Amino acid sequence: MTKADVVSKLQDVFDNVFVEDVKVTEELSANDVTEWDSLSHITLIVAVEKAFKVRFGMGEVEAANNVGGLADLILKKLQA
Amino acid sequence: MLFNSVEFLLFFPIVTTLFFVLPNRWRWLFLLIASCIFYMAWIPIYVTILFLIIIVDYVAARKIEAASGGMRKLFLLVSVLANVSLLALFKYYDFFCENFTELLHLLHLTWKFPPLNLILPIGLSFHTFQALAYTIEVYNGKQRAETQLGIYALYVMFYPQLVAGPIERPQNLIHQFKEDHPFEAHNVVSGLRLMLWGFFKKMVIADRLGILVNHVYNQPHEYSGIPLLLATYCFAYQVYCDFSGYSDIAIGAARVMGFGLIRNFNSPFAATTIQDFWNRWHISLSSFFRDFVYVPIALTFRAVPGRNALAALITMALAGLWHGANWTYVIYGLLHGFYLVVYIYWRQLSLRLAKHVDRRLHQLFGLLFTFNAFCFSCIFFRGNSVTDAVWIVEHLFPLNNADKVGDLGLTGGEILMTIVAIMILEFVQYMERNKGGVAYLEKQKLTTRWICYYTLFFYILVLGEFGGARFIYFQF
Repeated sequence: MTKADVVSKLQDVFDNVFVEDVKVTEELSANDVTEWDSLSHITLIVAVEKAFKVRFGMGEVEAANNVGGLADLILKKLQA
Repeated sequence: MLFNSVEFLLFFPIVTTLFFVLPNRWRWLFLLIASCIFYMAWIPIYVTILFLIIIVDYVAARKIEAASGGMRKLFLLVSVLANVSLLALFKYYDFFCENFTELLHLLHLTWKFPPLNLILPIGLSFHTFQALAYTIEVYNGKQRAETQLGIYALYVMFYPQLVAGPIERPQNLIHQFKEDHPFEAHNVVSGLRLMLWGFFKKMVIADRLGILVNHVYNQPHEYSGIPLLLATYCFAYQVYCDFSGYSDIAIGAARVMGFGLIRNFNSPFAATTIQDFWNRWHISLSSFFRDFVYVPIALTFRAVPGRNALAALITMALAGLWHGANWTYVIYGLLHGFYLVVYIYWRQLSLRLAKHVDRRLHQLFGLLFTFNAFCFSCIFFRGNSVTDAVWIVEHLFPLNNADKVGDLGLTGGEILMTIVAIMILEFVQYMERNKGGVAYLEKQKLTTRWICYYTLFFYILVLGEFGGARFIYFQF
């Protein structure tokens, strides 16, 4: 799976988690989405874990507050 | 040492001058000694507790970095236990004993657990949390374990934020102690201006409002209706100006020497949701609880429906308890936990509604609702006991006894000047949010800027409270 594939699959996850329409790109960060706060971040992370069948550690979650970083983390987990 | 004391009036210029006079390689040592003097102005012997916990965390972090696998977790556990035990012993032991003895009494058992009656070391809750942030970030791989014990000790003891924060992350502060800090006129002006603003908030608004608040809240059973409501709103502004004033002085004092501390408050009363409020109020503590308590709890219960609500409730109850060993603080925290739970479930509906309602109206409603929800929680934060707080809640309405407003410890002139001071506060914060604040001020003519500074200065001199009232958050 390439980074582009991960970002594309993340679009479905974002559509399910957020009410507002969000165009997922690698540059997208929590600052660009009104709903993406610390409460919905956990919902997003759990949804990502389900979609990609991966599991994040405590210290990794807060770092993944932009799509590029999140995609890198997912790829790292998938390759591990 | 209090920031609003004569001692600090001497301490600050002497320390700042010597800091710039000394060669860079000795500055960390000088700041460490100055910070010890600052701390020892209260109970000198308690500095040994600080030294002890500094050594424990310093060694634990080095071990965490050197170890692998389960050993890393073990050393982190040692650090967490050492810090939490210290807090438990000094801050919560007597509270636990008192409640446990009462519980046994209800079960008709007569065992007694005598309290220790220890005096709480000043700022213990702040520097233990700052130390915890360090070992956790080393464990998470976000901070290298510090090799120089003196630099790590300074991270914990740096005098501007030693006793009441901001609770710094090691990534932001430690490297600054190793950098050169040349004398920069811009930093000095900017730091002194922030300190002046902090003193204005503390001495003109907070301490003045404190007179009215104490008058009512220390004998709440003598009031009902408007006096209780007014004192509650006044306390909301008092606690905000007291603590954000302290933070401004701390950040300003550090900035004069060229150190950057994180912003601790960002116009919290402009928040339009309770989540927004906690992103603006005591930011260094709320981000600590978010990253090190809320996220781990929510992830631990990731398979449980309603995990966010459960994690929010537990986190806010603990955040409440952090403020003090009293049920009033636990209820204050639980109330905010409850607000967050309502917000979690209401948010999606609210976002859908917002598409059909005027944006400004939606925001105004959110702002008023959030501010009043905070003020309501303040009844428990300030109430001398749960019984007092409940009595106040029960007697807030009907809104009667307006004629007693003039008899609450402040004269009509004092009330008027405090209202003007709050209007200045709100105006400055509005400018900050909408016009760029300091940057906007710096674009103004020299005379305009100095008129602003002198106005604040004389406002403090003429209307400031010079009784040397303690900062509310010192007790935590």
